[in-house]
Amino acid sequence: MSLQTKIVRTMGWWILTVLAVAAASSAQVLNSAAKPIALQAVLSDSVTVQLSANAVDFNLTSGSANNPGNTAITAKTIWTLTPLIGFVSTYAFFSNSTAALTDGAGDNIPSADFQISDNGGAYQALTTTAPFGGANAGLRLFSTLVLGNNRTSSHTDVMSFNINLSSLPNLPANTYTGTLTIQAQAF
Amino acid sequence: MKSVKLFQIALLLLVTMSAGSLAAAQLNSGAQTIALNAKLTESLTLNLSANAVNFTLAAGAASNPGSTNITATTTWVLQPGRTAVGVYAYFTSSTAALTDGAGDNIPSADFYISDNGGASTALTSTVAFGGANAGFQLANVAITGANKNSNRTDAMAFNINLSSLPQLPANTYTGTLNIQAQATP
Repeated sequence: MSLQTKIVRTMGWWILTVLAVAAASSAQVLNSAAKPIALQAVLSDSVTVQLSANAVDFNLTSGSANNPGNTAITAKTIWTLTPLIGFVSTYAFFSNSTAALTDGAGDNIPSADFQISDNGGAYQALTTTAPFGGANAGLRLFSTLVLGNNRTSSHTDVMSFNINLSSLPNLPANTYTGTLTIQAQAF
Repeated sequence: MKSVKLFQIALLLLVTMSAGSLAAAQLNSGAQTIALNAKLTESLTLNLSANAVNFTLAAGAASNPGSTNITATTTWVLQPGRTAVGVYAYFTSSTAALTDGAGDNIPSADFYISDNGGASTALTSTVAFGGANAGFQLANVAITGANKNSNRTDAMAFNINLSSLPQLPANTYTGTLNIQAQATP
C-alpha cells in the first residue's frame, strides 16, 4: 500500500467519524435547568353573621306578658375554618342587663324581660353571660362542633322577639329604645 | 422522682402552649345590630258599672235617693311628668241638671253624690269639664313613680234634694250626668 493510499484512507476514516458524531449530536434534546416557582394559596379563617333586617318595633300593653315584635329576623352564620377551630357559636346580647331598652328618663326594660324564640323554640330571656356584651345580658342562639365535614358551612337562626312586662306593672308610658347585637365566635 | 418532676414540667408547658394556640385560634364575627323600638302608649280610661239611675221623687223632700249606686273605675298608664289624675262628675248646665222640657228644672245644686260612702255633696263647683258651678271632683290622685300605671274606683250614691224646690211640678225630669277623668299637666 502506497503512502498516498494510506493518507487517503486515514482522512476518510476521520471524515466519517466527524460526520457520525455530528449526526448523533443533532438528534439529542437539550434541556435547560429547572427553575421552581413557589405557590401558596391561603384560605383564611372567617366567620360572619348576616341579618335579614335591622329593626324591630313593639306596641306595648302595660303589664302584659305578651308584646311580640312586629317582625322576625333571620341571622345567618357562615364560617370557613381551619382544623384548629373546634366550635362555632352565635350569641344575641345587650351591652347592659339592667337597661336593654330605655326611655332615657330613668325607666328601663331589663334584658331579663326581653325574650327570643329561636327557630320556633320556646321564648328565652337574655339572662346569661355571653362572650360578648354585659353580664347576664345574653343568650346563646346555637353552638356546633366543627368537624371534618363542616369546616365550611352555615347555620340560620330565625328569631322572634317578645317583651314581657308582667314584672314591670308600673312601667310608665313612653317610647323605649335599645340595641340588640348578634355576633358569632369560633374557637 | 426527678423524672416525675420533668414530666410535670413538660405537661405544664404542653397545657400552656395548647391554651395559647386555642386563644390564637379564636375568631369573632363582626357585630350585627338590631335597633329595638318599643312604644307604651299613654292611656286614661274610665268605665262605669251602669249607665242609668232612676229617682222616685217626693215633693219638697230632701231625700230622694237614686235606684242604684254606680261605680266608676279609672285606669291610667301615664308618661313621666304627669303629676295628678282628677275624676269629675258634672252637668253641662248648673241651672238645668234635670228638666221636664217645659221650663221646670232641677239645678245641679240640688243633685248630690256620696263618693265611696262619704258625705253627699252637691254639684256646685266649676271643674275641668262641664258648665260653671255644675261639677264635683270625685278624686284627685297625686302621681308618683309608684303609681304611673294604676287605677281607682269611685262608688257613687245619688240623691236629689227637693227641699229648695217645694213648687216643682209633677213631671218626669231627665238629665245626663257625666263622669270624666283628666291627667295633668
